[in-house]
Amino acid sequence: MAIRKLAFIVDKLPHKTETSRLALTHAIASQTVEIYLEDGDNVEPFLVFIGDGVLNCVKDQKAIDIYGVTSLGMHIQNALLVGLNVYVCKEDLEKFGLTEDSIIMDAAHLGGELKTQIIPYTEIEKRVEACDHLLFF
Amino acid sequence: MADLKSQTPTETLDVLGRVCPYPLVLTKKTMEKLPSGGILKILCDAPASAEDTIPRYAEKQGYKFESVKLEDKGYWELYIQKT
Repeated sequence: MAIRKLAFIVDKLPHKTETSRLALTHAIASQTVEIYLEDGDNVEPFLVFIGDGVLNCVKDQKAIDIYGVTSLGMHIQNALLVGLNVYVCKEDLEKFGLTEDSIIMDAAHLGGELKTQIIPYTEIEKRVEACDHLLFF
Repeated sequence: MADLKSQTPTETLDVLGRVCPYPLVLTKKTMEKLPSGGILKILCDAPASAEDTIPRYAEKQGYKFESVKLEDKGYWELYIQKT
């Protein structure tokens, strides 16, 4: 019986590649893996956006107009909706001149209860160090 | 005891139009909040979720499960009772 902590770490820009989308898809899907595990085994996933990756969280990305693909904003809202903790690096947000008002902070209109958490890099480090597996996207 | 489908559900979850893994994830989240003995009715049109992952989840949890496939409507009505 074991709980494995998984960190899905996104440090790449959105849309030019599929990496960010894959991170979100895998993080959300990992919440269902328990049905294939032994009784008592499970995973605890969370998402981290650091470096250039914080740009994935920007509101009103208009990806469908520019790239012809769905916006990652909706995927982040879905992650919050299904109860995934989403952490965004405070220092990296500030580096891009972004604030809480610039990024997706909740999925309240979908019925989600969780909010995006903007935290210092030192706090992200602590959470990541407590993980069993780190997955970089 | 009566079939689950003939009882009034405690809650109904509509995941029509959503694909894997959302139907199962949302089902899990809803079941966590449901009181013991409560019945969740799920409307689902994702075959993999309706026929595989959600029944598997219910079985693993030891929950009572029933499925009704509505061929004319193209979706399933799934019933799970929390024990």
